[in-house]
Amino acid sequence: MTPTERSDPGIGNRASTLTQPMFHRVLNAHPLTVRDTLQDVRHRFRGEVSDDTLGRLELVLAEVMNNVAEHAPLGQAAPGPGPLPVIHLCIVRHNSGLACALTDDGVSLPDDCLLPRSLPDMVADDLPEGGFGWFLIQDLTQALCYYREESRNYLAFSIPFAQLEAS
Amino acid sequence: MQFIVEDAESHLNIKVTESRIDAAIATLFKDKLREIVVKNRKPVHLDMGSVDFMDSSGLGAMIAVRKSLPDNLALVLLALTPNVERVFRLTRMDSVFDIQPLTAQKEPRE
Repeated sequence: MTPTERSDPGIGNRASTLTQPMFHRVLNAHPLTVRDTLQDVRHRFRGEVSDDTLGRLELVLAEVMNNVAEHAPLGQAAPGPGPLPVIHLCIVRHNSGLACALTDDGVSLPDDCLLPRSLPDMVADDLPEGGFGWFLIQDLTQALCYYREESRNYLAFSIPFAQLEAS
Repeated sequence: MQFIVEDAESHLNIKVTESRIDAAIATLFKDKLREIVVKNRKPVHLDMGSVDFMDSSGLGAMIAVRKSLPDNLALVLLALTPNVERVFRLTRMDSVFDIQPLTAQKEPRE
């Protein structure tokens, strides 16, 4: 080994103390693939964060990724479903929570998804069966932000730890 | 998709055996469960103890099943796990369903 290839021990130590568990996956926007990915996320962070945080993370990711799958664009050339959108998912543990970033090449997100939401109207004899997804996403996340660039959606947010859990 | 159904005279005991009620199976779950409860015309006690994940599409399926029963027939949800209970609570749907711990349902035998 030549001296130039030797790593600086100071930098090495610093890097190891900053290492945090993370998860990265590129997947097709299909409900069964989303399900498998969520189970892998669960295994990755089990023992690293509380069950409560893991439950909130899994719910938000399910809502976001299944929305992409549900609103997959139709095929341009032939009728019927086109190629599935591709989702890039990245999760990193920070001191105060789990930072999540998702991108996909599905359809653009309607503006009203990100406007402050309330629950769908509760009419006793005709209860709503949908419209809860973005309410849950907004309720369970912090610093939710979205932009679209060319053909991709970019969504980022944080899942905060429970108060006793924050380190 | 399997449900364990037991007719307890006064009501129907149904155990959900799926561990996840998510977008992958919500429609099938809704159709199968609705078929069972509509056919029997009895109050339903649904044991959810094996379900450790439910998303908003699963919640939509549960609401559709509730709506398929007449108002005077109860749909009691038993033994919700924390992840499932959270979805009912955050969406205020815990006020629409009768949610009980599993032990509360054991009726004294005579």
